[in-house]
Amino acid sequence: MSTKGLLITTRYTVAILITLLMFFPMYWLLITSLKSPDELKAAIPTFWPERLAWENYRDAFRAAPFGRYALNTLIQTVGIVFLQLNISLLAAYAFAKGNFWGRDKWFFFVIAALIVPDQVTFVPVYVMMAKLGWLNTFLALIIPNGVSAYSIFLLRQTFKSLNNDVLEAARVDGSNRLHIIYRILVPMAMPTVVTVIILKFIGSWNSYFWPLIMTNTNDMRVLTVGIAMLKNSVGGSEMLNWHLLMAGSVIVIAPIVILFVFAQKYIVSAMSHSTFK
Amino acid sequence: MSGQLTPKKRLLSFSTLEKWKDFSLALPALLLLAIFTYFPLISSFYISLTNWDLIKPIKKFVGLLNYERLLKDDQFYRVLKITFTYTVLDVALSLLIGLGLALLFNHRSKAFGAMRLLIFMPYYISMVIASMVFVWILNPEYGVLNKALEVFGIDKVFWLNDTSTALWSVVSVSVWKGVGFVMIIFIAGLRSIPTEYYEASSIDGASKWRQLIHITIPLLSPTTLFLIITSFISSMQVFQSVSVMTGGGPLGSTKVMVMWIYEMAFVQFKAGKASALVIIFFFIIIFFTFVQFSLSKRKVHYEG
Repeated sequence: MSTKGLLITTRYTVAILITLLMFFPMYWLLITSLKSPDELKAAIPTFWPERLAWENYRDAFRAAPFGRYALNTLIQTVGIVFLQLNISLLAAYAFAKGNFWGRDKWFFFVIAALIVPDQVTFVPVYVMMAKLGWLNTFLALIIPNGVSAYSIFLLRQTFKSLNNDVLEAARVDGSNRLHIIYRILVPMAMPTVVTVIILKFIGSWNSYFWPLIMTNTNDMRVLTVGIAMLKNSVGGSEMLNWHLLMAGSVIVIAPIVILFVFAQKYIVSAMSHSTFK
Repeated sequence: MSGQLTPKKRLLSFSTLEKWKDFSLALPALLLLAIFTYFPLISSFYISLTNWDLIKPIKKFVGLLNYERLLKDDQFYRVLKITFTYTVLDVALSLLIGLGLALLFNHRSKAFGAMRLLIFMPYYISMVIASMVFVWILNPEYGVLNKALEVFGIDKVFWLNDTSTALWSVVSVSVWKGVGFVMIIFIAGLRSIPTEYYEASSIDGASKWRQLIHITIPLLSPTTLFLIITSFISSMQVFQSVSVMTGGGPLGSTKVMVMWIYEMAFVQFKAGKASALVIIFFFIIIFFTFVQFSLSKRKVHYEG
């Protein structure tokens, strides 16, 4: 009995130590954002600020237009989520419940796109956007990301698992397809729909490569690109602006951390979906 | 399918109309994929056969010259080697540490659930931010890591400015950020192993270690393969962390494939050569995808 108790205690202790170690970078990010510039240079790093320097956040907004970056990020993210969700819902219905020529071949055409990374398509898409005059506009940030093969796949899986009887009944009643998708299927498939929205929201909020290429003016930058530029402009190790960079970083990740805390149920369920990809 | 179930076929024109309606719902997705995925893929191949500079409208057809030049360029093999080294280190460390964490944290209690979430959370934060925090932690002068090493009498390490540590530093961010995901997936795998196996073997007197080697690891192999396939492919496309932490330096020691492609296209404006590199890179990814999928098929068959 006592050896078992010892084992449990050891397990808890090791687990807590590892969790502290793994969580340390997040803690350090937050704590650095609240330290005064002088304290950053302390010979022995402090693990709790002597004084909470909230003014770092005000100064960060002065160092770079984080408000504008945040607005751009939000517009980009909401635009992508909205467009992708609707396009995916329609396509998922067509591939799960529809009936047309070569349906499964067309579905393969969708799935095969999963192995083509952004890094393969960005030069021609950049040229296309330049020709359309879309560079430095939200159109270039949103439209090329308007479709996600993965979302279509997930929603199609869920739609397929839903019973056809309800659909037949709705068809007999003369409901059109949009009504069936939005009023009947979406409520039935709500957990998957929410999962798709959350994962896409996080992915778009964090995206870097695409906005880096498609925008080059300061007022069109998104948070990730803006803060990376700020880091490069204030220099690396010598200039000590880390309190500002970390305050900016907290602004970038705060919405995601909040979303994670409230939506972890959906996120973890999405993980179990992803194993069957 | 549903057409076969209806007792009597409807009027042909009516059913054709219905099919068109169904098809039209898939059309937006198909069109966007055609325009933004498949057309650019073909277009990349076409550009790779020219000497285009991305700005002037003039394109001269040069055949396979870009490919020839790349394959004769020492830099190409160096970048390839760095990309593979990064990928293998990243995947191997993430899986090993992730498995260790899964074994430790697979415990049904509130406290362990909360700890799992804390470890898993970084997976969803921006890679740019994760990289930046690490740059600060690894700062030679004021970084907390060097300060901690000082306590043990270890001299200042210039983590990101030293060719022997820079790549490891970039790997460390990715491992830290991704290992929680690996842990969660492994725990899902662990929980799907029937407990009878462990009960039976402990009656036979098998030690925990033997159970791990002979029951847990073999039965986790589908999970492991899934993780290897997905993380290998995404790891080869590493860019953000390199872009933020080292910019490919010092002395090109962290210049990975996507970094090189980006530089070639948007710094040197060699769109033709960059596209040739893109196409080669794409085929490397496809090659590994197929190798790993065929391996996983064989494995499933083997177990079945």
